[in-house]
Amino acid sequence: MLYYLIKRIAFGALVLLGASLITFCIAFVIPADPAVAIAGAKADPHTLAIIRGQLGLDRPLYVQYIRYLGRALHGDLGRSYARRQSVSGLIVARFPATAALAVCAMTLSLLLGTLGGLVAGAYRGKALDNLLLTLSLTLVSIPVFWLGTMFLVAAAAYLRWLPLGGFDGARSLILPSLALALGSAGYYSRILQANLAEVVGQDYIRVARAKGLSPTRVMLYHALANAILPLVTLAGLDFAGLLSGVVLTETVFNWPGLGRLAFEAVFNLDIPLIMGTVLFSSLLIVVANLLVDLLYAWLDPRTRLA
Amino acid sequence: MKGALRGLVRGALTAMLGLLWLGCQAHQPAALFPPDAAVLRLALADDVPTLDPAAGYDTASWEFEQVLFDTLLRYAADSNDLRPDLALSWEISPDARTFTFHMRQDARFTNGRPVTSADLRYSIERVLNPKTRSQGVQYFLPLLGAADFAGGRAAHTRGIETPDPYTIIFRLDKPDPIFLHKLAMPFAAAVPQEVVERWGDDFARHAVGSGPFMLKEWLSGQRLVLVRNPHYFIPDLPKVDAIVALIGVNEELQWLKFEAGEIDVSSIPPAEFTYVMKTPRLKALTIHHVTATTDYLGMNCQMAPFDDVRVRRAFNYAVNKEKLVAILNGRGVVARGVLPPGMPGYDPDIGGYPYDPAKARRLLEEAGVRQGFAPVVWLTADPTMMILGQSIQQDLALVGVDLVLKPVAWGPLLDAVREPRTAQLFLLGWGADFPDPQNFLEVLFSKAQWGANNDTFYSDPKVEELLAQASVVAEPTRRYALYQQIQQLIVSDAPWVFLYHPVAYVIRQPWVRGIQLHPLRPARLDYIYLARSEAARPRTPSAAKAAP
Amino acid sequence: MGRARLNWLEMVGGAIALSLVVLALFAPHIAPHDPTQAVAQTFGDPGPPSLAFPCGTDQLGRDVLSRLIYGARVSLIVGVSAMAVAMTIGVAAGLCAGFFGGWTEMVLMRITDVMLTLPGLLLAMAFVAILRPSLLSILLVISLVSWTGVARVVRAETLSMTSRDFVLAARALGASAGRLMIRHLLPNIAPTIVVMAALSTSGTLLLDAGLSFLGLGVPPPTPSWGRMVEESQIYFRTAPWLAFFPGLAILYAVLGFNLLGYGFLRRRRPQ
Repeated sequence: MLYYLIKRIAFGALVLLGASLITFCIAFVIPADPAVAIAGAKADPHTLAIIRGQLGLDRPLYVQYIRYLGRALHGDLGRSYARRQSVSGLIVARFPATAALAVCAMTLSLLLGTLGGLVAGAYRGKALDNLLLTLSLTLVSIPVFWLGTMFLVAAAAYLRWLPLGGFDGARSLILPSLALALGSAGYYSRILQANLAEVVGQDYIRVARAKGLSPTRVMLYHALANAILPLVTLAGLDFAGLLSGVVLTETVFNWPGLGRLAFEAVFNLDIPLIMGTVLFSSLLIVVANLLVDLLYAWLDPRTRLA
Repeated sequence: MKGALRGLVRGALTAMLGLLWLGCQAHQPAALFPPDAAVLRLALADDVPTLDPAAGYDTASWEFEQVLFDTLLRYAADSNDLRPDLALSWEISPDARTFTFHMRQDARFTNGRPVTSADLRYSIERVLNPKTRSQGVQYFLPLLGAADFAGGRAAHTRGIETPDPYTIIFRLDKPDPIFLHKLAMPFAAAVPQEVVERWGDDFARHAVGSGPFMLKEWLSGQRLVLVRNPHYFIPDLPKVDAIVALIGVNEELQWLKFEAGEIDVSSIPPAEFTYVMKTPRLKALTIHHVTATTDYLGMNCQMAPFDDVRVRRAFNYAVNKEKLVAILNGRGVVARGVLPPGMPGYDPDIGGYPYDPAKARRLLEEAGVRQGFAPVVWLTADPTMMILGQSIQQDLALVGVDLVLKPVAWGPLLDAVREPRTAQLFLLGWGADFPDPQNFLEVLFSKAQWGANNDTFYSDPKVEELLAQASVVAEPTRRYALYQQIQQLIVSDAPWVFLYHPVAYVIRQPWVRGIQLHPLRPARLDYIYLARSEAARPRTPSAAKAAP
Repeated sequence: MGRARLNWLEMVGGAIALSLVVLALFAPHIAPHDPTQAVAQTFGDPGPPSLAFPCGTDQLGRDVLSRLIYGARVSLIVGVSAMAVAMTIGVAAGLCAGFFGGWTEMVLMRITDVMLTLPGLLLAMAFVAILRPSLLSILLVISLVSWTGVARVVRAETLSMTSRDFVLAARALGASAGRLMIRHLLPNIAPTIVVMAALSTSGTLLLDAGLSFLGLGVPPPTPSWGRMVEESQIYFRTAPWLAFFPGLAILYAVLGFNLLGYGFLRRRRPQ
């Protein structure tokens, strides 16, 4: 078990290194002179030279990369060009809003997805099945930024008590998490339905039924518990993605999260901030992958040997 | 196994609830002040870039810097007249090269100590110091010895003398009739050396000044809170106890908050503008003025075919400027020249280029521009600029030009236009920094400013000669007459398509008084006051909630 | 590939896809007005749906219906070509990884791992920031971000095939790797590829809409549904129809390809 853990961590670190390398390369292909970005184009060459020296831009690329990595390991991700603040400070400041949204959206999507999957699994007749399939395919096909905008339209006209953007307390979470959750809910309900169908055919279910347990109880306790595990692990990976920030939803709802921060960084060619946000989200995904792998290994000893 | 799984699930749920709680806590609308305090509530779309006077060079930063810090001189609340601020009186030598100021003795920084001439000298040298990376360097380079100081060859700037703690003398290397205006810019604000040295690059977040307000709290991306400075040298100011500026609230949300009574002053989003103007009650609460800004389509005079004046004039005739202003809901005045109205030297009789697509087509043919010519225009990616860009696209399509839009962020845009051969066309605006035509005509069209602010890389020998002549004339009538002549030449040469002068609109709650829009600076926040009886009224769902 | 009779998913999905092709091909004949010029004096004040303009007019006086119809062109071109490029790269990579195994597989799979770790939208944004936004660059960017999913599925399918009898037999007979892959493996994983093609198209369509919404898609004046939603955001209270119709169009197109893909899937694995 320990060996497996170490192997997975090492692998994760390798992937993270690869991600940081790719990001670093992108950053240096981006056509922007950081010194000019900081000092303004009116600065004279002497000033620009001083800034380049301060930033270490006159060193060869691999040296810069290593220095960046070294500082990153200490939590220093540099200073944003556009915002004149430390990158790690910015990420930490924006993370709570993203985290709150991610939690709400994930909870909602799991609840709705489970419900949908159960209903679809329980009523496997032709007509209803097709209806539910259409519904979940539609949910998956809706562009989330349009759904969010339509929610705003509806709320502005009919539900005056809902805030129409920004994050001013718990009520602001309702619309954006719902917009985010519906798409995933459609997807999860299909997966759960497929898993349930598989599980229900298995022996221990038949044994439970034969024992005289009610169909509902069987479905809920035995079938669901086993069918839901793959779903939860999938949700775990999606959660990491949500934690990195969802730029489309944040744009529509003027949400002060990481997604919007990352987008503005790319748009402003704010290299330290781009690198910081990409590294942060890569870290989250790598960690989530690691946790999911560990969970599987713990629950199913066979995978440890893989 | 079941038990361990349950434990894991419980742990995960707790962690998630914790994250949720954390998020909500960090984003509660905080009640920061006792209910009877007079608090001015504002909202901003983007975070304030900085509060460091040496660094800030934009409207948002200046709005707050000008009430956190003091300069020797300031503008009157609603005009371009200069008034004493830290300086009580001043003398200018006849040759306009020596400026002597006598400072007041009762100004104090909020850490208690008095503001002296040494502080002013430190602050201006800080701007000149390349390590500060200030964009205000250009304004103080005319001081004697400034170049030596900036180059590290001298410990101090020779041209700034401080014979005693309350007298400061500036000596320039050549006459500059508008030097006083440069001292009224926030770059020349007094900052305390010990605080700057303590915080270094983070001084902006711990700003200490001597102005009517002091910085209480700055939660990045959330809010900026200023409170009254009890030691401010004018006892009646500021008129409110505190200012809370919410950050990250876009225009539509600002409007919603304004309707709900949550903020006191707001801009008017384009979607609501027609409705506001049609509703007398709301219209009465709006304030507007023509800004000292000109928005234009710049043409690179070094890149073919824009090196041909016929092509530049053709573009001027091709663009329908009235349509542009209509798209802006009338929040603009069509520009016929370089200078905006209200700027000294503004020429109300200048002809400009009326909309004439037929003439445009003829000129393009004459100049040999073939149909389907596809130039690229660089512009910022903000929604208004993109819509205006598309309007210009429509107009140019009618004369056979297929304009290509290239939206970029502000930084990359400035980088591109300053390169001599990168941007053929660009959509920009220029706002006056001080009330003198030199701020437009010389800064934007002289050869010396190539690669700096003369982004069209325009140059004309006659214009250069006149610019040199005009810059040293102190007598206003002659000075402005010369600049008018220069403007005529430039308009005829058409390095720009002169588009419009934006009109700024602001709407206030009925209980907000004292807002005075200034042509060159953001409105001063220290003069605004809240009529108490109405401010004390609880937030009622007012009639403003009636949806359109 | 199976029985000739189409299931309802394939029929509806196919009909939708066909309608998009028709709209895209015959846009100049179907659209009532020029999509880029002003046809109504509604500058700064969008006009509501009316008899003359069934979907209303926007703040530049342009007819929304005409823009919707022309928008199908961009969506189809970007969506289908990006899918084609992504599928080509993905299938090639997946086949090689599954067939050769060893180092090839490891390297390819690590690359896909790293790419899956980097947030897709962010990567796309970064690439578009470097290149000038144009049809070609958007296409390239979207396919670069989308090929990894295809590669993984194709690899899995290939792995399950390589141990099959016919493959072992062909290898024993001395068939070259390339021949094996193209002649034997490819036709067998073709059904998967078809399903992936349809589902991939819906993915690229959504990604393109998202990029356009962020302002990074095909630049104006070409009408693009995602950008139409973005431009109408500020009017969500006063002119909600401006955002409603383009988004509905995106939903229509994406749903069509999803139905088609699911239809193909049902054909292979009737459930």
